[in-house]
Amino acid sequence: MLQVKDLHKSYKAGKITYEVLNGINLTVAQGEFVAVMGPSGSGKTTLLNCISCYIPFDKGHITLGGQDLKNLNEESLSKVHNKKLGFVFQDFMLLDGLNVLDNIMLPRIISGDTSEAMEQRGNELCDIFGISHIKNKYPAEISGGEKQRTAVARSLINEPLMILADEPTGNLDSKSSRTVISSFEEAKNHLSATIFMVTHDSFAASFCDRVIMLKDGAVYKVLEKKTERGAFQEELLEAIKEMSGDVA
Amino acid sequence: MKNFGKINTALRRKNKKNYALLVACIFFSVLLITAYVSMMRSPTVLAILPEGGDSRKQMMMIFVLAAIGCGFFTTYAASIFFRYKSREAGIFMALGASRGQISRQLFYELFVISAGSCAAGALLGTPLAWCIWQLFRTLLVDTQEMTLAFDPQAYMFALAFSLFIFISIFIMGRRFIRRTNIIDIVNEQRKSEPIREVKPWYGPVGIVLMIVGGFGGYIAPTIFIKVYQWYPPAWTNIIYLPLFIGLYMVLIHTVVRGWKHGKSRYKNIITNSLMKFQGKQTVNNMLVITVLIAGAYFAAFYTPMLGTGAMQETEKRPVDYAFHYRADQNMLTRSDITAIAAEEGVTITSWKDAEFAVLGQDGQHEVDDEGGKYHYEYSKLNGAGKYIAESNYNAMTGQNINVEPGRFAAVLADDGTGDNMIQVDATWLTNMTTRKMLSVSFQKYLRYEMMASSYYVLDDADYAQITAGLANEWREKLVYFNVEGALLTYDFAKKLYNSIVDHSGPECELPEFYDRVEKIAADKASETYWGDTEQMTKISYAGRDSSEFKQFWEYMPQFRVLDRNNFVATYAVFLMLFIFIAIICFAAVLVIGYTRCLTIAINNLQVYEDLRRLGATPKYLYNSIKGQISKVFGVPGIVGTSLIYIFYVMIMFFNDNMITQSEISGLISCLFVIAGMSVVIWIFHRFTLHKVCKMLNVKQSGKQHTNKCTE
Repeated sequence: MLQVKDLHKSYKAGKITYEVLNGINLTVAQGEFVAVMGPSGSGKTTLLNCISCYIPFDKGHITLGGQDLKNLNEESLSKVHNKKLGFVFQDFMLLDGLNVLDNIMLPRIISGDTSEAMEQRGNELCDIFGISHIKNKYPAEISGGEKQRTAVARSLINEPLMILADEPTGNLDSKSSRTVISSFEEAKNHLSATIFMVTHDSFAASFCDRVIMLKDGAVYKVLEKKTERGAFQEELLEAIKEMSGDVA
Repeated sequence: MKNFGKINTALRRKNKKNYALLVACIFFSVLLITAYVSMMRSPTVLAILPEGGDSRKQMMMIFVLAAIGCGFFTTYAASIFFRYKSREAGIFMALGASRGQISRQLFYELFVISAGSCAAGALLGTPLAWCIWQLFRTLLVDTQEMTLAFDPQAYMFALAFSLFIFISIFIMGRRFIRRTNIIDIVNEQRKSEPIREVKPWYGPVGIVLMIVGGFGGYIAPTIFIKVYQWYPPAWTNIIYLPLFIGLYMVLIHTVVRGWKHGKSRYKNIITNSLMKFQGKQTVNNMLVITVLIAGAYFAAFYTPMLGTGAMQETEKRPVDYAFHYRADQNMLTRSDITAIAAEEGVTITSWKDAEFAVLGQDGQHEVDDEGGKYHYEYSKLNGAGKYIAESNYNAMTGQNINVEPGRFAAVLADDGTGDNMIQVDATWLTNMTTRKMLSVSFQKYLRYEMMASSYYVLDDADYAQITAGLANEWREKLVYFNVEGALLTYDFAKKLYNSIVDHSGPECELPEFYDRVEKIAADKASETYWGDTEQMTKISYAGRDSSEFKQFWEYMPQFRVLDRNNFVATYAVFLMLFIFIAIICFAAVLVIGYTRCLTIAINNLQVYEDLRRLGATPKYLYNSIKGQISKVFGVPGIVGTSLIYIFYVMIMFFNDNMITQSEISGLISCLFVIAGMSVVIWIFHRFTLHKVCKMLNVKQSGKQHTNKCTE
């Protein structure tokens, strides 16, 4: 589904160049739920931004569903964002001027789909994620957990190849975090969604099939979930300590 | 079914406040500029303000300031709008909308907003100017001259300004869309523009630069003219530049560091740091407000300075009625005037009249060279002077002075001012009929208000000698008289004034700057006298009620009751124009200040929510908001007002190297104007504070607040 080969990305600050991603290699299979963890400055968000093509990368290849994402023109990139990727952001990124259902349908509306099927699909997603009762409410009128479930539903409206989630539980309390993770599990189990999530939260990561640990812009370790969730979380915490424990 | 257009319509409806702010700002700035330019280009105003005169330059200068201010403030409002739009555009792009899709919607919105607001502002600007003018005419003064006419060409300026706004907003929109990646756009709304480092010396150095720039810029032209005999071109005004740099530094210092140190720094740490994080925009806005306040006061001071000076001059006159006329005119005699007085029931209580002569004087005059330079040349017939015999002077003034033979005295005002207006370097006087000459030298200054800066006094024998054989066209008669109840004799004064004009021949239809001696000298040298060119103000008896005639006619009588009653009417257009300019500038100041403060509320909503969670009391939150809003209104108010007041004092002082009693009175009147306007600004500041507190959900009483947060 996703292949990242020898990915390099650097930033310049004045005359100094900082290597943020230093030859990343990874793959994500169809239907897999993968998390990326690592200390601050390890390059997690930069990796996500490169995969989502929000920022250009210096060297390497990213292939999504067989399509090389390097050097795509703007039109093709928009299509990738719209059709092949779904996004879930830390601060939800919902439009305050639209109600929940309209926010969910937004990617389809952008692509020019104005069919009744779209509305039907939006309603279905509301049902799946338990937000039907608030579908006519505006973001200012709902809780953080509900906002993030709306964002997850929105990310699935176009049945993308992959959902990219950037710290989706970062702004939520533990109860709401659990609800959002459940949403991802729902998406994975019922909609065969592939999810790639960047997180600091070992609890959230422990629900994933696989966790990629990043350190200094390179893959430090890959942990696969072979045990039950609680033990896997312990394993993650150990690995974090091993990386000199910048992660809480 | 929903489509992208409908989604945008829904978003516009939901976020109409953001659209309304931009619409209001564009509309308001085009409205103000159109109103200003309509007035500035009005034939009514142009007919009154002499071409190349100071008043016209001042009007133009303040227009440039207002246009820069309005342009700046509109682009600032547009930047707020784009910051709001950035989140929307960022989300659309993140979800797969192309730049083309977003830009089509954005440019459609910008077109509708800009075109609609500009058109409305331009259409209503002239009616606004007309309404304000009619209000002046109804409430203050109405003269025939004040009938307002508009020049359709003024719309070209309004159109140019609208076009500038239109293009600026589209360029900003294009830049916004062309942002390199989604991350930048999404982060745009959260972007702050802190000023990183401000050294402690910024403020003091800024003050020094302001003094150097202001003082240097003002006296530099005098130095160029006097020392280098060079009229500097307009670009030399760049000498004022340190004033603006200094002003910027002082404002930066005030916003970032403040002027209080020690404990108070921690007391205001939230206020200061919040302002610092919006530093660039805040300082830019404050700079514009400061300059506009200075421009507004510059215009607003015109009326009290002129009014107080004119009123005091009128009151100080030792006689109620004074006029002079050429001896070759068939002028009213004393008995004619007494008869008119009797008809009007006026009793003349004292009467004095005396002859004086208009003589040629030698001296140096400027001759223009290339490149704005000039040199002096001596001429035997340099210009005309009014010379009176000492006995006649004593009779008219009640003084008892003595002028030595071969010498002359020059008359100044009672307070000793006016020496810069009267030439004392004459060594030869010429009888313009016989061309006989008399050698003289300056002896002393005399003081008499009615003759100030216009008359010279000669020894009786010298006067008799030089005026022997002088034709009547060069002889004049001076008349002073008093009446009973002078302030109740307006009808008599008006009738007498009209009779004097009626009895004056076309040879006297001249402005006071027309020098007949210079004219003869120019004719002799086969040159064109400048007074015969289009540059010279034209005077016509037909316009005897016009302010131009009353200000510039050579033989304009000085009747206390007439001058006192006619002051406002005479200067009506000047006064109204400058009041109008002040209103426009102050309106712009209030709107810019208000918009800036609303931005504080929009940007800091989350910060205040966090502070509340950290345990900040409502009183603390209120004081923090108050501190920021007070700075936005207060600092430019204090700096702009002080700057322009000091500048006015400087102008008054350098006019004659002293500040006269009437100038002091004028400056005191200006303080009342400042007090009045400060109250208006303070009321608006309180209104804005109330609005911002409401937006941030902070109670002004500081006792409690209602938490609106739903989470």
